[in-house]
Amino acid sequence: MAIVVRLDELLHARRMTLTELAARIDITLANLSILKTGKARAIRFSTLEAICTALDCQPGELLAHDPTLPAQD
Amino acid sequence: MNAIPASALVVARPVILGLTVLNLLYAASIAILLGASFFLEGWPWKQLGFDLATMHPLAPGGLRAIMAVGLAAAATVHTILRNLQAIVDSVRGGDSFVLRNAQRLNAIAWGVLAIELLRLAVMAIASALSLPGNMGGYSPAPWLAVLLLFVLSGVFAQGARMRTDLEGTV
Repeated sequence: MAIVVRLDELLHARRMTLTELAARIDITLANLSILKTGKARAIRFSTLEAICTALDCQPGELLAHDPTLPAQD
Repeated sequence: MNAIPASALVVARPVILGLTVLNLLYAASIAILLGASFFLEGWPWKQLGFDLATMHPLAPGGLRAIMAVGLAAAATVHTILRNLQAIVDSVRGGDSFVLRNAQRLNAIAWGVLAIELLRLAVMAIASALSLPGNMGGYSPAPWLAVLLLFVLSGVFAQGARMRTDLEGTV
């Protein structure tokens, strides 16, 4: 997937664990893990908003496009 | 809408199984009668109430053709019941809105269409040979059922595609 999710870097910068983030934004740890490991195929705006609010960041800090990676099939 | 009882699916399985057995018995009976008609003089026409002396000279051939059509219809019914059984089983398995079920519905639609065409063939043979008895008149219900099944198959396929799109969404 050419879309990269920089959740690890943001969590490290905010000194937060994935479990703490899941509890804060009421999204299951399983779904956040899917997002973190790059296995998600789509993200809802509501999820994006919740993560950006909790981590005090912009969507562009969380998501990036890497054209060198293979596109989703 | 949620009042549609899940018990309907519980009942469906044994009903489909029973219909499958009945259909196989029907096919076996037709096959036996058809086979016997080639070896036993005047059989089974007289036993079935047909007086060959008063009928069209091609009547025995026509009746054999109708029996052959009946066997083809039984084979088609068997395919329909097998596909229906698979759809019901997929609901029990917890994953029914898949492309495979859309394909099964499509196959059932073609099967019902084929049965209607076979019925028309029987009516044509009976009419051409002036065979006694009522071979059935025209009814729009089966044709509407065919249309309904094709539409449902398309709807199912679209639903399966939409579901696939949603997989992996967080």
